[in-house]
Amino acid sequence: MSGTGVHAARQPVGFGGAQAWFGFALTVPALVGFVVLILGPFLSSVYFALHEYRIESSEPVFVGLRNLETLWRDATFWQAWRTTVVYVAATTALTAVLGTLYAIFLNEPFRGRTIIRAASLLPWVLPSTVTAFLWAWLFHGQYGVVNAFLMTLGAMQQPFFWLSTSNGALSAVILAKAWLSTPIVMLFVLAALQSLPVEQVEAARLDGAGDGAVLRHVVMPHISRTLGIVVVLQAMGNLQVFDVIYAMTAGGPVRATTVLSIEVYRRAFEQWNLGMAAAVGLVWFATIAGIAIVYLRMLLKDNP
Amino acid sequence: MAPVVLTSRATGTLLFRGLLFAALLVFLFFPVYWMVATSFRPQNEVFVQFPTLFPHTPTLANFRRAWSQSDLPLYLRNSLITAGGSALLTTALASLAAYGFAKYRFFARKPLMYLMISAQMFPFAVILISIYSLLQVLDLLNTLTGLTIAYIVFALPAAIYILFSFFMRLPDELIEAARIDGAGDIRILTRIVLPLSWPALIAVGIYSFMWAWNDLLYSLTLITRDDSRTIGPGLLLAFFGEMQQDWAGAMAASILAALPAVVVFGILQSYFVQGLTAGAVKS
Repeated sequence: MSGTGVHAARQPVGFGGAQAWFGFALTVPALVGFVVLILGPFLSSVYFALHEYRIESSEPVFVGLRNLETLWRDATFWQAWRTTVVYVAATTALTAVLGTLYAIFLNEPFRGRTIIRAASLLPWVLPSTVTAFLWAWLFHGQYGVVNAFLMTLGAMQQPFFWLSTSNGALSAVILAKAWLSTPIVMLFVLAALQSLPVEQVEAARLDGAGDGAVLRHVVMPHISRTLGIVVVLQAMGNLQVFDVIYAMTAGGPVRATTVLSIEVYRRAFEQWNLGMAAAVGLVWFATIAGIAIVYLRMLLKDNP
Repeated sequence: MAPVVLTSRATGTLLFRGLLFAALLVFLFFPVYWMVATSFRPQNEVFVQFPTLFPHTPTLANFRRAWSQSDLPLYLRNSLITAGGSALLTTALASLAAYGFAKYRFFARKPLMYLMISAQMFPFAVILISIYSLLQVLDLLNTLTGLTIAYIVFALPAAIYILFSFFMRLPDELIEAARIDGAGDIRILTRIVLPLSWPALIAVGIYSFMWAWNDLLYSLTLITRDDSRTIGPGLLLAFFGEMQQDWAGAMAASILAALPAVVVFGILQSYFVQGLTAGAVKS
């Protein structure tokens, strides 16, 4: 796109009067949807967090910060918080590394590249439950192919019951999510790679740069912005993950894979303690907000 | 045309690169192959400690069982209705709003937009607590309508951002020229802007569809009646419940459940890839 085109597109038309009203009117349906379905429910959850509110007692009773104080001393809550941090950090890092590598490989010309690229997004189209079944089956203790593979290689003597041990189950849900998200990261990084100017690479080569130097000094700086956005989006998405973990392990064994989303779900829809569930949600939100601020900064830098 | 980055032809480098790429491909594609392979195996080939790579005596029995013993057709129908409905709703709301934000200047335009986009960080499970109460009051619990509306939560913020990026790159000259020709705002939107936006609208439609299609959390919570179940909880309850050990059946049912979306996505994929990555990559 030409420079003038970009510049012109940054000037919205209609500086007031009837046209401004028309523009605003266009946003009203989405605003209503946003207020009724997202902002309103979120604020009302904040309200619940300050109340003793169980479905059977039905009337919320104001208790101030008591729910949060209770949480502060609740070891199971902090365990869920730590599990979430470990899960998000591991999944996001793994996805970013694998997705970038994959994109660099798929950027090279080779036979069958088009088909592989097209087939790569398949995991993303699978319902979460299907993904969960699939990975639970791969990691099955008795009949799982992962164990068969590792034992054939001689890496293990006995089958390992992945989903019934804490670390095994956590590793399994991390791998499942990394599998699910790697193609998405690849997609964005590949798109960035395709806008890499040939001249930059050629200039570096003339300066005597090998593949490693080109990757480090030309490719990485070029894709870093895209990668940054994708990593933040992935981290925010991973903080939210419920489906795959719940369908694979239901948060177990015991509480080993209970992340905050599962903790909220349990307190709200199994114990029907909506006040405490909302309080967990509030602390969770504070964690996400930290990452979200970074994301918004990136967006603002893009569209000043 | 993107430049070739990996040029080294040294044997060691080639070998290392080849192995790394092969390992990645196995990680990404073998699970899907294994799902397909398992779904064609007779039971005596499923429950072995060292399974063969290919099924010896392939059978369709698992597919027949999956189709007849679960309510799969019903789940598929309900998922199509809720995911399709919410995709249409989300795309309609997001396209109007994104166009307004991108091409008009009005009071509090920026703060409103960033507030809506930032909604991606509100935890879905937390919002769900209040949505549950809301649908209860409106008598929409256990209805496909209620679930469809609730699904707007997932994709609306991102949909607005994706379409906003798209409309920002639509030249203003186009709109000004039409205005000079005497076209009104509505006419410009319906006759000029929307016809040009099909690729982006399809991308956002697929994006919203997949969020709803893949969901488990909301469908599990907002629907508890069997005849309104969607695929996610339907499969979970059918195969992690009563038939707990029927792995080949679960794989067959998974394939049948995934097939419609895989086919549709296969056809529309190119729109999706362009539309989704356009916002994050500036050329």
